[in-house]
Amino acid sequence: MGYDLHFGWTGAIGRVILGATRADGGTRKISYHIGGETTLPLLDKDPLSPTPLVALEICDNPEYWSPIIKNFCGDLVNTVDEWAKTAETVYGADLVRLYLTSTRQRNFSDIASVGKTLEAVLSATALPLIIEGSNEPRIDSEVFLKCGETAQGEKLLLGTAEAGRYRSIAAAALAYNHSLIAQSPIDVNLAKQLNILLREIGVQRDHIMIDPYTGTLGYGFEYSYSAMERIRFSALKGDTDLAMPMICSAIDSLTIKEVREAEPALQDEMAVRWEFYTGIAAAAAGAEIICVRHPKTVGMLKLAFAGIRSGADFTDVK
Amino acid sequence: MALKALDIYKLLPKKNCKECGDPTCLTFAMKLAGGKADVDLCPYLDDQSKSVLGATTRPPIRLIKIGVGERSFAVGEEFVLYRHDKTFYHPPGILFKVSDTQEPEEITATTIRVRDESFTRIGTELRFNGIAIENASGSPDAFARAVTTVEESADLPLVLISKNTDAFNAALIQVGSYQPLIHAATKQNFREMCALAKKHSCPLVIKAHGLDDLAGLAKDCVTEGVKKLVMDISPQSPGDFITISTAIRQLVITRQSPDLGYPVFLDATHPHLQDAAIALGIVKYASVIITPPLSPASAKAALTLRQNIYTDPQKPIQMNPGLYRVGTPGKDAPVLLTVNFSLTFFTLEGYLESTRIPCFMLIVDTEGLSVLTAVAAGKLNETLVRDSIRKFDVEHEVSHKTLIIPGYSAPLSGRIEEATGWNVMVGPRDAAEIGEYLHEQWKNHES
Ligand code: SF4
Repeated sequence: MGYDLHFGWTGAIGRVILGATRADGGTRKISYHIGGETTLPLLDKDPLSPTPLVALEICDNPEYWSPIIKNFCGDLVNTVDEWAKTAETVYGADLVRLYLTSTRQRNFSDIASVGKTLEAVLSATALPLIIEGSNEPRIDSEVFLKCGETAQGEKLLLGTAEAGRYRSIAAAALAYNHSLIAQSPIDVNLAKQLNILLREIGVQRDHIMIDPYTGTLGYGFEYSYSAMERIRFSALKGDTDLAMPMICSAIDSLTIKEVREAEPALQDEMAVRWEFYTGIAAAAAGAEIICVRHPKTVGMLKLAFAGIRSGADFTDVK
Repeated sequence: MALKALDIYKLLPKKNCKECGDPTCLTFAMKLAGGKADVDLCPYLDDQSKSVLGATTRPPIRLIKIGVGERSFAVGEEFVLYRHDKTFYHPPGILFKVSDTQEPEEITATTIRVRDESFTRIGTELRFNGIAIENASGSPDAFARAVTTVEESADLPLVLISKNTDAFNAALIQVGSYQPLIHAATKQNFREMCALAKKHSCPLVIKAHGLDDLAGLAKDCVTEGVKKLVMDISPQSPGDFITISTAIRQLVITRQSPDLGYPVFLDATHPHLQDAAIALGIVKYASVIITPPLSPASAKAALTLRQNIYTDPQKPIQMNPGLYRVGTPGKDAPVLLTVNFSLTFFTLEGYLESTRIPCFMLIVDTEGLSVLTAVAAGKLNETLVRDSIRKFDVEHEVSHKTLIIPGYSAPLSGRIEEATGWNVMVGPRDAAEIGEYLHEQWKNHES
């Protein structure tokens, strides 16, 4: 009995390149060509069906970072370059997503320090990077330009543009040839609108990743799941304004009640499973980059993504 | 091709005898037209009309009930490939697996865990659904003993797994009347398995790899008189599972392959892919999932994912902004500010109702963002709060000027006070603590 899981779709997801190797003018050890698929994710034996990448999220000022991660990683969280290096060599992440939380202090103005931090991280790890800039419109422009300039040629992914707050980040991405994350609140139409706004100021489709905003499991995840599916289907049906790969980060996973109130001995485990189940389901809905904060989730997701396709001996162990 | 209710009515016996469970043949016809009933429910239909109607009116996936009593569950009767197209109706049963080679104490412990463990989210109790018992020993006696051990501790839905008809015979003597799901009929043994399923009228799993083999086997079983079927697609990997389960869902909802119109079974057992398989099974069309007992963390995550995916997506994500009443609040009742993300609203409202303190909820328009995100994105700010207080005329509804804001918006408290002239109290971060907060802080504040 025949079946076709390409459903007569005619569209394809555009490609976004993250990370540049020496051959391309950067210093990364690998360059990811994300996107390009024409069907549903994780399908067996279908080369056009994607397997997602896993990014570990870290920050340069852990003051407000989850205590769970601070306990697990210990002193590492105080040295951002070491943390980035460990993400690559020990935790096995595909990408590092650096939150410049230092810029979120009141009256922050030390823009030079942003450049120094980024330089340190770039030399500590050879993985492609995602950089989350400031949270404060007043300094957006300087922070993003500094990041863009410091990592010129490295093909960063810069975050996060939103409707009403995308110009500075777009300017930095355009000036230094980086890509950016476009986030909209769980809605296919708002995602499309933002992409159009970005296009109008000159950001090309192959420099945008969609972040549909991910509510964690139990806290709105079902809305995000369906928003991702709808964005993906619109793209596969031919809507080029939505035909970008998606990035998912369920940042509330570590602050929700189930994790916070878990018995201390169970807390890491609860955090990891929460991130893991959210990540797998998001991957099934079409996310190409899954961001997590607990180092153990990285390994678990990577193992799962490697085993989901054939060769897992899924029948033999029964 | 779908038939209209009147066309269907013409083919019915028009006895209005109610035996189908509907008051009249016409109402039954309307249900059939909507795919909400099965032609087999009418005992007086001749075979020819039955086959005409069966193919076009039966729900694309047959509803299969597993177990009896309070904890029994039904799966199937799904109509869409994507939840946003309508909704998913029947959440998969997730059953913990035990083996007849385990010590009875272990089997009992797992059974009692499934019987008793539950946790409540948004007003619903989440539980695992039953026990799958595997005849790993190959011995009919050991199988019967294990089944009895389970049965003595709880009336839970069961899946019985064996390769041996004698073992099934021994087990079904104990529990055959409780509608266990029996696993599995194959091309080789389907006649014996169908005989067993018929004798005890229990649902039967058919197992084959490949859609043609599955469809053929399903047809053979129907010919043998067994229609309560569940399909084990015998996947080689979780990716293989979602590939085939997606294909099946697509083929049956478009009615291209009615022979595959049965719920899908998934054994998630694997040394390191178990959680991934369960998560993928939940989102991609598994109806019965069996797994070795899960760790407490996996258990909560799996049940929560299942609840999320099987929530009706028509439920609006945004509430209309406004001043909402909980109970009948007086002029001195507290006013609690929050965002118009429906999940935040419903969660908070639930907890407020349980405190039994009448109050007002001031819902401001953050375009459906949660508190955390709305604060981070600057959507929840002092101007919005000031304008909302004016717009919804809060000053005339209450005789005080104290506003309780969500814990996560604490950084805004000073600015809100300045912009509104109201006195701001910072509430808890977690809605679950609002009862305690109101009883302690609000009551103190009053005195
Ligand atoms: S059982 Fe058949 S004959 Fe009787 S009311 Fe229902 S449809 Fe009509």
